[in-house]
Parts: sequence; C-alpha cells; structure tokens
Amino acid sequence: MNGERPVVVEEGAAPKSAPSLGWQEISAELAELFASIKLAMFLFIVLAMTATIGTVIQQGERPDVYIKEYGEEAYRWFLRLGFTDVYHTWWFTSLLTLLCINSLTCFYKRFPAIWRSMQQDKVNIGLPFIKGMKHRAEVPVAGSKERVAEGIVQWLAERGYRVLAKNEAGEATLYATKGIMGRVGAHMAHLSATVIVLGGLIGSYYGFQEFGVCLEGQTYHIPKGKFDLRIDKFWIDYHENGAVKSYNSTLTVIDQGAPVTTKTITVNDPLVYKGIWFYQSSYGDAWDRVEIARLNIKEKGTDKVVGTVDLEWQKEVSLDKLGLKLAVTDFVADFGFNSTDKKVYSKTVEHANPAVRLTITEQPRVKATPVQAAPWIFYHYPDLFEIQGSRYRFELVGYQPKKFTGLQITKDPGVNIVWIGSTMIVVGITLSSFIYHRRLWAKVIPTGAGVTVHIGGNTHKSQIDFQKEFRKLTERIKTINTQIGQEASG
Amino acid sequence: MLRSLFLFDMTFWLYLAALGLYVGYVLARRPNMQLAPAGHPSGPMEGESGWATQIGQVATIVTIFGWVVNTMALLTRAYERMQISGTFAPWSNQFEAMAYVSWAIILGYVLLELRYRIKAIGAFVVGIGFIAMGAASLLPYRYQTAEPLVPALNSYWIYIHVSVTLTSYAAFAMAGGLGLMYLLKERAERRGSTSSVLAAFPDLETIDELGYKAIMVGFPLLAFGIILGAMWANYAWGGYWSWDPKETWSLIVWLIYGAYIHARMTRGWEGRRAAIYAVFGFLMVVFCFWGVNFLLSGLHAYA
Ligand code: HEM
Repeated sequence: MNGERPVVVEEGAAPKSAPSLGWQEISAELAELFASIKLAMFLFIVLAMTATIGTVIQQGERPDVYIKEYGEEAYRWFLRLGFTDVYHTWWFTSLLTLLCINSLTCFYKRFPAIWRSMQQDKVNIGLPFIKGMKHRAEVPVAGSKERVAEGIVQWLAERGYRVLAKNEAGEATLYATKGIMGRVGAHMAHLSATVIVLGGLIGSYYGFQEFGVCLEGQTYHIPKGKFDLRIDKFWIDYHENGAVKSYNSTLTVIDQGAPVTTKTITVNDPLVYKGIWFYQSSYGDAWDRVEIARLNIKEKGTDKVVGTVDLEWQKEVSLDKLGLKLAVTDFVADFGFNSTDKKVYSKTVEHANPAVRLTITEQPRVKATPVQAAPWIFYHYPDLFEIQGSRYRFELVGYQPKKFTGLQITKDPGVNIVWIGSTMIVVGITLSSFIYHRRLWAKVIPTGAGVTVHIGGNTHKSQIDFQKEFRKLTERIKTINTQIGQEASG
Repeated sequence: MLRSLFLFDMTFWLYLAALGLYVGYVLARRPNMQLAPAGHPSGPMEGESGWATQIGQVATIVTIFGWVVNTMALLTRAYERMQISGTFAPWSNQFEAMAYVSWAIILGYVLLELRYRIKAIGAFVVGIGFIAMGAASLLPYRYQTAEPLVPALNSYWIYIHVSVTLTSYAAFAMAGGLGLMYLLKERAERRGSTSSVLAAFPDLETIDELGYKAIMVGFPLLAFGIILGAMWANYAWGGYWSWDPKETWSLIVWLIYGAYIHARMTRGWEGRRAAIYAVFGFLMVVFCFWGVNFLLSGLHAYA
C-alpha cells in the first residue's frame, strides 16, 4: 500500500547502539497512536457519551436547584466531576483537543501520499499486483496490443478516468484513476475540526456576551464598543388569536455624541455595529416602573369612591375639586424594605407584591398649609397604612407595567473562522461521501493469436457500483475488437 | 378541520397497504426449486412466481401513489400555514416533521428501488416510513394543527435547517431498516435456514453496502443541518452553540455515525457488526427526534 515507507534516518545522526527508548521511538509511537483510527473511534464514542451528561443534568443552575433534585451528596459529586458545566471541564476540552491532534496527525501522515498519487504515475507494477486485487479479470481478445490498449484508454477516458499508459516491448500497462477528490475531501474534513475549535477559542478569548435589560427612551453606554445605544421604541405584535407574533425594538447608535444609525431589530434580525451584535432576545415587565397606574380615591368618613385617576409615570395631576395633586413617583414589583438603610427595593423581578409610591399634596378645606405625604400604596393590601391628616384613602386598583426589552449584546471575532471550518467540513464530507476513489490497472500481454488483458481495480468503498462498472469494462474489452473494426470500416 | 389532515390520513393508509403488499411480495416470492432446471445459473429473477411479480408491481405503485398523496398533504399544509401565519414550512411542529420524515424515507426508498430493483427492502424501509407516519397520526390533535410559530422560529432559516436535518434522519432510518434486514437474513443463514422468505432478500453484501451508502448520505446532511442550526442560532440568539439538549443530541448522533464511517475502514467492521451499529445509531436518531422533544427541555422543546 502507499504511505508505508521506511523511516527516514537523518544523514548526520550518529548510529544508535541499542534499541533504547529514545525520543525518536517515543515520538514514532506517539505519531502512530495519534494517527490511528482506533483512537479516533474511541474519541468519537467517548465524546458522544460524555456529551449526553449535560443534556440530562441541567447546566449552570444555582446550587439549590441541584440539591433539591439530586440531594447534597450527589451535588458534591457533580461539582467534583464538573457535571454542572460539563462542556467546559478540563476533561471534556481535553477530549476535544485530542480529537484535533488526532485528525491533524492523520492529515499529516496520510495526505502527502494522496498528494503524491495525484501527480505521480503508478504504471510500474507487476502482473502479480493485478492478480492480487479484489476486483480482477482476465480477458483474451483478438487484436494487437496497441489497438486494444487504445480502446481501453478511450473507454476509460470517456468515463472521466485519468489514464496513464506505458507501452513496452512485451506488454502495455495502463493505470487509470478517478475520484481522488473524495479522499481530498476527507482530509479537508480532518482539518476542519481544528479550524472550528480555533474559531471557538478566539471567540471565547476575545469576544463577550452580555445581556441588557433596557427601557424605552433610555440611552445606555456600551463600554466595550465606546459608543451609546438609545432605545427609541419597544413594542409587541400579536397574531389574531392573541399569540405573540414578534417583538421589536428600534435602536439608535450614538457614536461620539451623534446618532449614526437607526434600526428596528426583531427576533432573527439583529443590529450590527462595529462588530457588536444587538439581538432582540426577550422582553418583560419592568420591576421598577409603571407606564400608568389607576387609583381609586375614597373618602375616609363615608368610604365612598369620589374619584378614579389614571396616573402616568412621574407626571403630576391636579384634581382641583378634591384639592389634590397626585403623582406616582416610584414603583416596586415585589415590595421589600431594607431596615438598615431604610430603603425600599424590589425583592424579585416578579410582580408578587407590587406597590406604588404616591406623592400627595392635599389642600385642606380651611385655609392652612397643605398636607404633604408620600405613602406606599399596596396592590394586594389596600388598607395597610393610613395617611395622617388626609381626608382620603387611596387604593391601587391596577397598573400597566412598563415593558423592558431584553437585548443580547455579543461580539465574537472567531465566528467567521467557525464558518470557514464549517464550510470545510460540509464540503469535505460531501465530497468524500459522493465521490469515491477508484483505481484500475491493466496489462495487455500478447499471446499466440491475440492478446490477454489482465485488469484489476480497487476502491475504498461503494463496492457494488464499482463492481458494476468493472463488469461493464470487462464486457467492453471483450467486444473491443469488433467495435474497433466497426469504427475502422464505418 | 384542516384539509391537510385528511390527506395525511390517506397517506397513512396507503403506506400501510404498501407495507402489506411488500410483505406479501416477500412471502410469495418462493424459489420454485422443483421448476428450476438443475445447474442452471441463477439470475436475479430466480424462482419469482407470477404472483410475486404482480404483487411487487402493485406494491411499488401503491408506494408511489402514497408518496404523491404525502407530497400533496405537505403542500396543502404549507398553504394552510401561509393562510394562518404567513410562513409555509410544512415541518414546523412534531407532527409535520414526522410526516416530512416519512415523505423523505419513502422518496429515498423509491429512488433506491428504481435504481437497484430490489423490492424486498420495501418490507423494512417502507415499514419505517409507515411507522413514522403512524406515530405522527397518534399524536394528540393539538399537535397536529398548524398553530402559528413562536417568534424565534419565524424565520426563513426554518425552511432549510429543519428540512436538511430531517432528511438526514430519513437516511439514517433507511440505514437502520437495512441493518435490521441484514441481521434477520444473517441470523437465518447462520442457522442454516432455507426459509423461502429469506430467498427474496438480496445477498448480505448488497444489504451491507446499501446501508453504508445510506449513512454516507445522512452523515454530510446532518453535518450541514447542524451547521445551519448554528448559523440560525447565531442570527437569532447571539451564539452559534449553546449546548442546548437538541443541538447536543444531534451532535451526539453525528459523532456516533462519525465513529461508524471510520470503523468501516478498519477490518471487521462490515456486515453484522456494522448492521447492529446502524440499528443502534437509528435508535439514537429516534431519541434525538422524539426523546429530546418530550423528555428533555431546551430551546427546541416547543415542537
Ligand atoms: C474530526 C472529525 C473527523 C471528521 C469529520 C472526519 C471525517 C472523515 C470522512 C468524511 C472521511 C471519509 C470516509 C469515507 O471515505 O468513507 C474520513 C476518512 C478518514 N478519516 Fe476521518 N474524520 C474525522 C476525524 C478523524 C480522526 C481523528 C482520524 C484519526 C486517525 C481520522 C482518520 C481517517 C482516515 C484514515 C480516513 C481515510 C482517509 C483516506 O481515504 O485516505 N479521521 N474522515
């Protein structure tokens, strides 16, 4: 077989006295190991098996999630083995690295032979070589050596074979080959694994991925891009049946103080500026502000509703009849109170215990200084606090939270390398799947009356198709003389 | 009621009929030993009784007709989707995906039959296509309708990514069916059985080779499908790979077949072992396609 050559010993190297375990032996052994298909199969299978772990155990969750589901002891083992983030453990990445080394070694060891065979002639073979082939035939034909050889060459050339011929005194030898691109494709696939991994590495070292919760009308600084991003608008489109059809944000990039570009992004259609991609990734209800809040105003004495107001966020409204000026100045979705610094905050982003802060200025009936208050009004607990000195009670009967738009902000300088690798893998595998490498040898040897054609061939796969082709070739050779005769007379 | 559902139903019954006919063909195709002159070279049509030939022809016709109805069902569904939500891909939920896979399996089978003229394979491969269609029909009605797509799926990527991936599944299904056939015939031969049924099967080497070919079609398609998925993810979510269960599982399946194609190059990995492996690989495909959607959670769990 090709590719098996004696080990090249460097010219100047001193002859080694004993078969010691020197560097050369070790490196030869290593090269052997890394070029072996067995290792490749092992890596494919082990990678497949270990990759399942992360699909069964949720990845990157908080500790309590695992403890609740699997228990503490199991969680400790998960941490030790890296099961909560399998794909970034040292052992998983090592397997991937080994696969790259493996396929590169394979390329290094085998591709040169393919390259050579694309250029070199393989005509110098003996008869026993042909007789040892998997597909072989012996066909006696009438006719001269040159004529028959020419006929075969023509037939093969018509079928896209590259043919080399050698005419010698006692025999003519032919070598024909087709489909070497299939093997080149395989090796293209071998290189691609490393290219993809490289692209991934570049992305993880020089790229970033962040998530931004952004509100309409705000401008955010993007420090990694040294520019600003303004959220002009956010809205949701619905299907007729009420299902969400798409959600969209209109974004404006402001670079050095001046708006540069505006684009409406939606799911599947990001904005790209200076290599940074802004994706419409999610949306939700803001937990710290509302669009509008509706309040009932009740008279303390009679408990009668004397008015209902819709208050826009931080906009004061005057109700002259009641002598009131009202404004919603703050909101929390899940009321929490920090007693050390006396601050109200939202415990979670869920709207579990929503409350608005109402800033009230009330003019009493008799001329006096107005009553000023800023109580928290709870949606679920309407009667929690009483406002001292006021004639009214306020009830929060509803509100419309402001929507935030969730933007995924990423930069990945390795992504194009990944696409190059991907193209190589797809093109490479496709070539190797659909084009198969075929080689044929023939010797035309004159015998008493005519000639005997010895043909043999091999392919590394698709035996059935090759067999068919081989049979056709043999048939053709049998009739070669009559055809040549016809052509000559016709 | 969607009109396409009627056509999908009809496809189901036609495939069932085709499967029955292929099985009938295999059973009817006894080698008529007593009629064959001794020492006569056996051609491919050896012992084919008149019955078998006719059943075989009807089987092929019914299969092709079923496939045409399947095609019409998918087209009708595409039209209905267009009416409802403005996208047409008739493989946007589990039901449609199954129907598409059986369409692709049957198409592959018909091409194979026309090219190699081996009908007995139909008893296995049409069987798998039928099972795919049948499993789809068993899904609850709410899975079978054409609900509008969630925004993340509403993209032209779905046309190409999903169809390419599903086509690769079909190729692997074909390989799995051929593997099963190989194992049956091989077992019977090992036991020295001269059962008439097996005589209709092509020889082991051919089954082996065709199974390998099917995998060689599926392997690049799956690679392409995975990469298209990565491109879509990069466009929709801002990362081409997030180790979501579905994409991880399709990678697992791809790695399993990667091991297979390399194993073929080493000695001893043809025939029986390869057949077992092809069946195993197909089971993994089934898990990737069904199991992941119903058992594991992730970005693809909507289907
Ligand atoms: C990294 C992922 C890999 C991919 C996508 C890949 C893909 C392929 C493909 C598609 C073929 C052609 C198969 C055929 O013609 O039937 C092939 C052949 C081959 N692969 Fe790989 N392979 C990979 C890794 C490896 C590794 C790690 C080795 C290590 C030894 C290896 C060794 C071989 C050999 C020796 C061949 C035959 C090449 C030839 O025909 O000259 N492969 N590979």
